[in-house]
Amino acid sequence: MTGLLTRMSPQTLRIVALLAVLMAVLLFFATQIDNYLTGRLFNRISSSVAIMALIATGQTLVILTRNIDLSVGSIVGFVAFATGSLIAALPGLHPVALVLFAMGLGGLFGAANGLVVAYARIPAIIVTLATLAIFRSLLVEFSDGRSITSNTLPDWLVSFPNTTVFSIGDFDFRAGFLAAFLVVIIVHLALNKLRAARRFYAVGSNPEAAEMAGIDTKRTVFTAFVLCGMLAGLAGFMFLARFGNITVVAGFGFELKSIAAAVLGGVNIFGGSGTVIGAFIGAVLVDLIETSLVRWPLVSEFWREAVLGTLILLAVTADAILMRRLIKLRTDREAARDHERERAAERDRATHAEAGS
Amino acid sequence: MKNALLTATTAAFLAGTAIVASADTVTLEPGQDTNMVLLPKFLGILVFDQANEGAQEAHAELQNPGELLFQGPTPENSVAGQIEIMTTSATQGQGAVMLSNNAGDQIAPAAQAALDGGTRVVTWDSPIPSGDGEDVFVAQVDFGSIGIVMADMAHSILGGEGKMAVLSATPDAANQNAWIASMQEALEGDKYAGIELVDIVYGDDQSEVSYNRALALYDQHPDLGVIMSPTTVGIQAAAKAMQDEGLCDEVKVSGLGLPSEMVSYTLNGCAPEFALWDFRDLGYLTYYTAYGLATGQLTGDIGETFTAGRMGDYTVEEDPGRPGAKRILMGPFTVYTSDNVEAAAQ
Repeated sequence: MTGLLTRMSPQTLRIVALLAVLMAVLLFFATQIDNYLTGRLFNRISSSVAIMALIATGQTLVILTRNIDLSVGSIVGFVAFATGSLIAALPGLHPVALVLFAMGLGGLFGAANGLVVAYARIPAIIVTLATLAIFRSLLVEFSDGRSITSNTLPDWLVSFPNTTVFSIGDFDFRAGFLAAFLVVIIVHLALNKLRAARRFYAVGSNPEAAEMAGIDTKRTVFTAFVLCGMLAGLAGFMFLARFGNITVVAGFGFELKSIAAAVLGGVNIFGGSGTVIGAFIGAVLVDLIETSLVRWPLVSEFWREAVLGTLILLAVTADAILMRRLIKLRTDREAARDHERERAAERDRATHAEAGS
Repeated sequence: MKNALLTATTAAFLAGTAIVASADTVTLEPGQDTNMVLLPKFLGILVFDQANEGAQEAHAELQNPGELLFQGPTPENSVAGQIEIMTTSATQGQGAVMLSNNAGDQIAPAAQAALDGGTRVVTWDSPIPSGDGEDVFVAQVDFGSIGIVMADMAHSILGGEGKMAVLSATPDAANQNAWIASMQEALEGDKYAGIELVDIVYGDDQSEVSYNRALALYDQHPDLGVIMSPTTVGIQAAAKAMQDEGLCDEVKVSGLGLPSEMVSYTLNGCAPEFALWDFRDLGYLTYYTAYGLATGQLTGDIGETFTAGRMGDYTVEEDPGRPGAKRILMGPFTVYTSDNVEAAAQ
């Protein structure tokens, strides 16, 4: 077992560690809550994580470049409302056009963030803290107190996220989840295979070196924000489809959840390392803990946030310790192997020397 | 003789009522100048905009040359924003602030300072729990009777027997908490002996949180019969969740909702019964009250009766739910079913 673990790349190791934590959380709550481990739990989590997975993916791209986007929740809310208004006004609009509209609008918000962060060199935490409030206020102004209700939306939109594509036993794989998962996989592959996408890592791990290597760091940071905005826009579309009822508080607090998901998923908050798959599992973990806590009678409403925070800390700590141990195992093994090789080489030399004499 | 006496008594009696009426029912003099602020929990919720429409209607009717401002915090800043607007309004010397309180007792010092500075404070929709810093609360309905109506709706949906759970707004919303408490009190009665309240959860008045909480309620209590949600955001999120998961045959949704938002769920049976009052009327009555106080035509003392335009006469009374505080009771509200929801949704 340890041999297997030490042969994996650190990225894979992290994902294995995360899955172990996920299992531990599942097993813990299974002992606490009746009727817990059922297909229904999978259906709940998978349907609800579809939205956060997209946002966490965008957040990861931004964090990789040593930045942060606090405005994603407000972008989700605005895009959900604007997309809902558009389809209510033009019910015949093609679904693809509606998705493109949502992503385009989100991308515009992202571009506004990116311009100020990359080209005016203002810290992202300040810029997006401001745009968090600005985008939300724009929504309050734009909505004029109206809400979007599901009866003004076309059937295809409302039924899309809950359409079961296929089932394995009690486990339903629904369209909303599969679509989000597909996006996560595409972004993951792009980050690993595309030279252009590798720049996010380069800029995040060492901006000066990246600059000297001829990477346009400003453009890279700008691109990360635009992509994050587009993914938040897509999440806004999914939010609209899933909940149907959009008020001005839509997407409220999503920025912190997306950061929690990314960090839990092993994305380094100081940039330069982490994977989108990790962030996805992080999003699942946050959702799982939250859903389970609601059903855990031991924790009252008022303590739930605190318990959630503690569990996130615990999970991150456990993950970090596990990682460190695994890496140590691995380096020990490598050291042992090196040592072995040296001794073998020495023996070789000795044999040669003997043979030569 | 007997007849004469009777006539005399009747005459005296009639005269008496006439005198009582003219002495006690204040008719507000229009055209007086006072600036006022309508302060909702936060901006961007339909019912508060409806309240503003009602207040604007009364503002025009009373020909107040002053200004009526509709000013509220943004959703993420509700508590601090409300306190700030209250303080600013007092500094500006506004005639009255009409507040739907979302800040619990935290706003009481700011409201008290406003009162001391001569700005009248009228609460509506959600009062200041302690009653400190408040002239009078314009109550949409009797908070005790909301509890009974919710218990009755649960009774009729469950057929008198079954499990109910509550999906509320935020854990510290004064109005929802009072209604839930009054429903729990009502449930003690013999009529509701077959109804078991199994859980109370909070959806924070956010669609996504409420939606997930509603599903969690079903997962936790598989034999649940009805989800009672005394908030317009929670009730429609719960109805949508049950509809999406095909659970409407097992779990019904009820509570307080807007007909325009609930009509499809009422017609398809997911939410067969729900109730609400008219927020336009609430804004209208609140404006009349605040205008009367700000222009000195009303004192706000218990027993004082005044005419609120098209809505008729109202009396200031003791608030049975908050000892020492005063209220004006609007009432009644409407229970919506498939028979009347479509007409109301227009």
